[in-house]
Amino acid sequence: MDMIDRYVYAVTQRLPEQQREDISKELYGLIEDMLEEQAPLSEPTPEAVEKVLLQLGHPSAMADKYRGHDRYLISPVMFESYLTTLKIVLWAILLSMSVVFVIESIVEPPSILGHFTGYLVSLFSAGAQGFLWVTVVFAFIDYGARKKYTTSSKLSMEWSPSDLPPISDPQSQIKLSEPVSGIIFTVLCIVIFMFGPELIGAYRLHDDVVTSIPLMNADVFSKYLPFIGGLGVLGVMREILKIIVRRRTLTILIFHISTSLLGLIFAAILLNTPGFWNADFLSQLQAVGWAPQAGEDYENLKTIWLTVTNNLFFFIALITVIDIISEIYKFSRVKLPSGVITMKWK
Amino acid sequence: MADATEVIQGILGELRRGTIIIGVLSQLSEPQYGYSLVTVLEEKGMNIDPGTLYPLLRRLEKQMLLESTWDTNETRPRKYYALTAFGREVYEGLCREWNELNASMQKIINQDGG
Repeated sequence: MDMIDRYVYAVTQRLPEQQREDISKELYGLIEDMLEEQAPLSEPTPEAVEKVLLQLGHPSAMADKYRGHDRYLISPVMFESYLTTLKIVLWAILLSMSVVFVIESIVEPPSILGHFTGYLVSLFSAGAQGFLWVTVVFAFIDYGARKKYTTSSKLSMEWSPSDLPPISDPQSQIKLSEPVSGIIFTVLCIVIFMFGPELIGAYRLHDDVVTSIPLMNADVFSKYLPFIGGLGVLGVMREILKIIVRRRTLTILIFHISTSLLGLIFAAILLNTPGFWNADFLSQLQAVGWAPQAGEDYENLKTIWLTVTNNLFFFIALITVIDIISEIYKFSRVKLPSGVITMKWK
Repeated sequence: MADATEVIQGILGELRRGTIIIGVLSQLSEPQYGYSLVTVLEEKGMNIDPGTLYPLLRRLEKQMLLESTWDTNETRPRKYYALTAFGREVYEGLCREWNELNASMQKIINQDGG
């Protein structure tokens, strides 16, 4: 019977692949049983089939009953945080792409039209990337949270009132400005590294012409782009966690420290790549007349250049360590009051 | 004013949902297939929609209360469900709880009724 086939198909299409065969056999059996009861001896009429199918209900409602729960990519609990993050990320992308566009236009005013086209195109592709990654990260976090919730709610619904986070404790709360600025900074870094590493350098305005001398080698950068992208996603993920939880927890602290260390390791690899720095930076500076040709001044400049390029990593490491220590300090201050509250409850 | 029968039907639907599980478990000491269960329960006064029963049987199987076997010897293949040892234990526990609930409900209703 064509109508029955279509009904069973409509139900099983809405169910997980591995259950389809079994449920479809079961449904065929059920429908035949129901038809047989209506007219035990004769062939079922189309009217009888229709009546039985109507009795079984809408295929999507039937599939819902088999599934037993609603399905979401991002559940309603997370949806608000998701929208907030999406807005921040898209604004950050718009902002940083605009910064790149403005710098490019200042450096090369004649080709402003080309820059503008490039700006629109990369705005679209970066926006799509941002949308994709925020969604992927959220779907991932949401899946994990749901799994944890369903398993833990079955095993133990035990909780103690002391688990409740103290609301008024300003120490434990993460202000929204922290993850927002974190996301904007991360996106700005990724966008500049991906779309214009050659823009970082020295600029000189001369006779209305801006010349730029890049500080780094764009070719070396392009090799590391996937890693930069990956680190960026991790960085944004860290800020997303902060937006969702809005509270300093051990998980967030550990995540913060490990992503910071990962970034540091990457910086070490990047900075030690031969040819990372523009080796001709000084001679290019000399060419435009910015650096002295020779003598003590040049030697001094050379020393500064070498010191900076050789020690930048230690500078980054120092900042990372300070950041990690400050995060640990902020976290340790949270621990104290919640411990006091636990004592009171007991 | 809302229609009283409508409200009653709505609340009754919620009340029935749990009792259906007890009804289903009660009939599965011997293996039964879905539709025969519908008829048996109907004869005993419990109306259950096949569209509700079939998914419920699967869910109870997933919870290890039931086990199933496909019988392919008959004219059409049928999936037979029967209680597991665990299912029997759960059913007996549910019956005890039900009787207690019933007793206290009786007390509450009679007290309020007069």
